[in-house]
Amino acid sequence: MEPISRREFVKRAAVAGAMFTSFPTILAACNSTNTSSNKPSKLTIAAVQGAEDGPLKKVAPMYQSQTGITMEVVEFPYDQLFEKLVTTFQANGSSYDLCMMDDPWMPKFGTMGALQPLDSNFGFTRDSDIPSIVYDVGTWPPPKGPVPPSEQGKTQHLYGITIVGNVEMFMYRKDLATSAPGSWNDVLANAQKFNKANFYGYVIRGKATNPASSDSLPILWSFGGDIFDSSWKVLLDSTASIDAITFLTQTLKKYAEPGAENTDAGDRDRLIAIGQAFQSTTWPAEVTGVVEAQGVSQVIGKMAYIPIPQGPSGKGLGMMGNWLLGIPKGSQNGSAAADFIKWLIKPDNMKTYVQNGGIPTRTSLLNDPTLGQTNPYFPALAQSLAAQPNWRPRTDQWNAVETIYGTAVNQAVAGLKSPKDALTAAATQIRSAMKQAGYPS
Amino acid sequence: MVKAGRRRLSRQERLAYLILLPALGTVFAIVTIPFILVIQQSLSSDDGTLIGLRNYARALGNPQLYDALHATGVYTLIVLPIEIVLGLTFALLVHRTVRRPGLRAAIYVLAILPLVVPPVAIGVVARLIYAPSYGVLNVILERLGLIHQEINWLGNPTLAMISVASVDIWQWTPFVYLVMFSGLQTVPRESVEAAQIDGVTWWTQFRYIELFYLRPLFILILFFRLADVLRVFDHIFILTGGGPGTTTQLLSLYLYRIEFKFFDTGQAAALAVVVLVSISIIYTVIARFLPLERA
Repeated sequence: MEPISRREFVKRAAVAGAMFTSFPTILAACNSTNTSSNKPSKLTIAAVQGAEDGPLKKVAPMYQSQTGITMEVVEFPYDQLFEKLVTTFQANGSSYDLCMMDDPWMPKFGTMGALQPLDSNFGFTRDSDIPSIVYDVGTWPPPKGPVPPSEQGKTQHLYGITIVGNVEMFMYRKDLATSAPGSWNDVLANAQKFNKANFYGYVIRGKATNPASSDSLPILWSFGGDIFDSSWKVLLDSTASIDAITFLTQTLKKYAEPGAENTDAGDRDRLIAIGQAFQSTTWPAEVTGVVEAQGVSQVIGKMAYIPIPQGPSGKGLGMMGNWLLGIPKGSQNGSAAADFIKWLIKPDNMKTYVQNGGIPTRTSLLNDPTLGQTNPYFPALAQSLAAQPNWRPRTDQWNAVETIYGTAVNQAVAGLKSPKDALTAAATQIRSAMKQAGYPS
Repeated sequence: MVKAGRRRLSRQERLAYLILLPALGTVFAIVTIPFILVIQQSLSSDDGTLIGLRNYARALGNPQLYDALHATGVYTLIVLPIEIVLGLTFALLVHRTVRRPGLRAAIYVLAILPLVVPPVAIGVVARLIYAPSYGVLNVILERLGLIHQEINWLGNPTLAMISVASVDIWQWTPFVYLVMFSGLQTVPRESVEAAQIDGVTWWTQFRYIELFYLRPLFILILFFRLADVLRVFDHIFILTGGGPGTTTQLLSLYLYRIEFKFFDTGQAAALAVVVLVSISIIYTVIARFLPLERA
């Protein structure tokens, strides 16, 4: 081989470097031919890793075999999915054609204008077999309750379709109790009655932030407390709110598992599944994934599932935790993505989805006795959905509010602060955060 | 008259700069540009309007920052001295007592293992050790008859801090060991042998001969470990989520929450700049106070 001069070496290196750096651009250019066509070769779904996206992964290949469109499910853990989506939306990226969204994320994405409207763009209409609350939760600005100041006056659109009809419920050992607890007083009485060494009367999911927040909100609401009123005024330091958190973190805690301040859903399910606890709140995915899972649980058939018991307010309010599918604004395959959602929620396909572990929103499927045999919580879920469960406050500041509130509840569970002190401090912080975000304080 | 600074570069120098250009360009693209953007963001509101130092005032006026700094300080004061003392002790023990190359290699591999395990995995394993009701540690202590009631490792503020610190100590003491052990290999054998002929004690040999060669490595360890402690996130997130309350919410977790939970980009950027400047000052002080061999 002939030796090359230094000048020639630099020249060749520069050419190689230019080729290397332009390679992604060339690839992107090749890809753009695909995305501009009506029928793309591939749809990419950003999904949450776990029980929530398992059934989706199972039915996606069916769509692929029917249409020839490759379905790629890219999974992220819960927190990372949210961060990934926010940063993708901020950059108006086209990495994902569909995204799974927890319903409290809708205000953030709605305010950002990050999603394509499913009704006006793709002709989605409400189906009478699906409870209206399920459509409401995917609509932005919210059709009920307070609307963030920046969103007032905007036209409502449907941006997300629920594919995991999660609503927080209540579970207890039906083989031990003679009747279902109708109120939180009954829950307390049962906790007292059944609590003994190595068997806990109640399980508190009290780990800091999201777990403590999710576990306590149904109790807060059932006691007549709340985080905000209808005009975004903070109610967390109201008497009803303090009473609710005192009930959970002091009265019920006497009969709860040790280390409740560090208990998350997995720890709770474990205690229930090995027969060491009597009752707790629960989510459908916990039921299918652990409590009623063959080969995992020792209490299969021994648990009953009911809507959240009533509190002093006379209401028992479950909390929605729906997972929705939406189409990012940056996606260049909106029509194909919308077709996939329509395909997925068709009664027959949703039935297959349920048979693969999915949690439906269709009333007909929730009340289907055959499906109910393998999913004992379906009747409770149908009742909870019909009773119009609460959703978490529809504000783009929800993550901040939840972090503050969930930390305060955790402090009260851990005994670091009294419920009153914890909630008063949290209310002050939330007022400050909301004021800064432009909400009336 | 031609100024010295303006002299023309020789052909060789030009080539050297040209060859350096890709590396410097990469550093500029992935370090300098983001840092400039962070500074710009720290001076701007969400809509991009310049608002002066308001984000800095908010960041420094948030009482939770000081809780996080306190937690980080406590964590650092627990982990760094213990890791350095343990790592140094192991290194001296192995250096002086283990002579067989095969055994040394085995210890080397064992020491490497904790360093290559992802912190998330370590967090999950640590949770199995410390978790309430099924944690292995409580079971062992109970079986040994040392405790009769479960210890709430992750729910008690003091124990939670000790628990998360113990994970750091387990993972990073081997790093100190490896650095110190390699440092001990550079100690001239003649000096040690001469001292031993003079009948020096174990401690004198370390104090007056080996420590001299290890001093620059202490700085290296401090530099690396201090930066690591400020970045520590994964295992704390999994073990306690910053709880109970905010007891184990270290600076990195606090910053994460400001950015990804509160979505307060301005405040998060201001905090990032403050942390970077503070670290630079701390590093400069460390470098001045400890003797560093300079070329």
